[in-house]
Amino acid sequence: MNSGYYAATTGLVSRTEALDTIANNLANVSTAGFRANHNVFSSMLVSTGDSPLSVLNQDMNDYGVLSATQLDTTQGALVHTGNELDLAIEGPGYFEVKTASGSVYTRGGNFRVSPAGQLTTAAGDPVLGDNSKPVTIVGSPVSISSDGTISVNGAISGRLKMVEFPPATQIQSAGGTYYTAPVGAAVPATHSQVCQGMLESSNVNPVTSVIELMTAQREVEAMRRVLTMFSTEMDKTAAQDLPRVS
Amino acid sequence: MFRALYTAASGMTAQQMNLDNIANNLANSSTTGFQQRQVNFTDLLYQNQIMPGAASTQQTTVTAGLQIGLGTRPSETEIIQTQGDFSTTGNPLDVAISGAGFFQILLPSGQVGYTRDGSFSTNAEGQVVTADGNPLQPAITIPAGALSVTIGSDGTVSVTQPGQTAATQVGNIQTALFVNPGGLNAVGNNIYLATTASGQPVIGTPGGSDGLGTLQQGMLEQSNVSVVNQFVAMILAQRSYESNSRVVKAADEMLQQLNQLAQ
Repeated sequence: MNSGYYAATTGLVSRTEALDTIANNLANVSTAGFRANHNVFSSMLVSTGDSPLSVLNQDMNDYGVLSATQLDTTQGALVHTGNELDLAIEGPGYFEVKTASGSVYTRGGNFRVSPAGQLTTAAGDPVLGDNSKPVTIVGSPVSISSDGTISVNGAISGRLKMVEFPPATQIQSAGGTYYTAPVGAAVPATHSQVCQGMLESSNVNPVTSVIELMTAQREVEAMRRVLTMFSTEMDKTAAQDLPRVS
Repeated sequence: MFRALYTAASGMTAQQMNLDNIANNLANSSTTGFQQRQVNFTDLLYQNQIMPGAASTQQTTVTAGLQIGLGTRPSETEIIQTQGDFSTTGNPLDVAISGAGFFQILLPSGQVGYTRDGSFSTNAEGQVVTADGNPLQPAITIPAGALSVTIGSDGTVSVTQPGQTAATQVGNIQTALFVNPGGLNAVGNNIYLATTASGQPVIGTPGGSDGLGTLQQGMLEQSNVSVVNQFVAMILAQRSYESNSRVVKAADEMLQQLNQLAQ
């Protein structure tokens, strides 16, 4: 069979998978603290064992696959809500949150105080302070400075833990606007500021997402044409016209 | 492929709920003591097709994994606890809370409800009640024939009676403070009920050391709904509904292309 047939099929499969990521980005366009995922396509050279490929073979066996999704770490717009426990981060940092499965990181700063006085996320998981213990807030009014220092009724009561990651860190989405990172990758934040009374809106760019959507759609169409051409033109010629002896 | 359809559907459902909430905020933009709500969303789980950090060869690891997200869901409607504007009414039994705290109201069920709506009046017995006729707690009775009622910033209620020069104190308004007022359960008619999430109320004197706000007589707290912000939120909800429906259309057309392959 033609290797181009497989190349077009791989292209078709990777574009339909890409649609899933685009759909997820657009579905989360209103999720505070959400970071978009971008599709990374890469070419995969299919080789046969250790034998080096000829130039022609390399061209024919170079398939495009969806190899990775990469987290977009650009800053989302800060939206004013006025709630004193809504916190946004300006800069590359994350808040650290303790969950049953260990530490996770979030930029979704719609926090609240539990009846026990702990600062928690919307899901009820405690937010950690710079001593790596859950932050407790008793009393009001609460004011939080740009470096994360918490003052209750004018008296300093603690400081939020903010961490940053070196550029090559593999950050994974864990759902619930939580992100996980390899153990030991987090370093104390130096370029991040807390903005009280604000939330960071999702960093999904609807314009580029819709363009990605249209591109994926048209590329599927193109791959389909290629496949149809193989089956209706070339294979037909090979299977029906050539064997005919006049 | 079918994931994209369901993912887009989750986005559309979420925006629909967002619009429901915006409609309720706008409908209550003139409700005394109403606090607007905001829908917060969260992303759903991810399918990990390639784990980041997995070995790609014996010497190297995958630098970025292949994670496919499955959409969004509304996680909560957060009560925005900002102070509403004050409007002067001149009515002596209209009281606004400047700062944190809630009035306590005895409901017909025997439960105590909490409200920031301070538009009180007196019933036939002279008791201070809400617009629905539910008495303020602790109960305060204004004697018949009282010439004037004065409510101090600390909640002291005093009246001047005919033939007397000095004012007589008839009660104290006490307000309630919650650790997590966002966790209160709204039951309509401007009433909230305490829940395990809100914690037990701390009852105290307005303006005292507990952090309770002071009272302002002759004023009412208007709703804290910002009509402009709600309109902006409405436009955003509408547009993101639209872009999610485009995903449904694109997924449908891709499926159509695939079906044409079999012809």
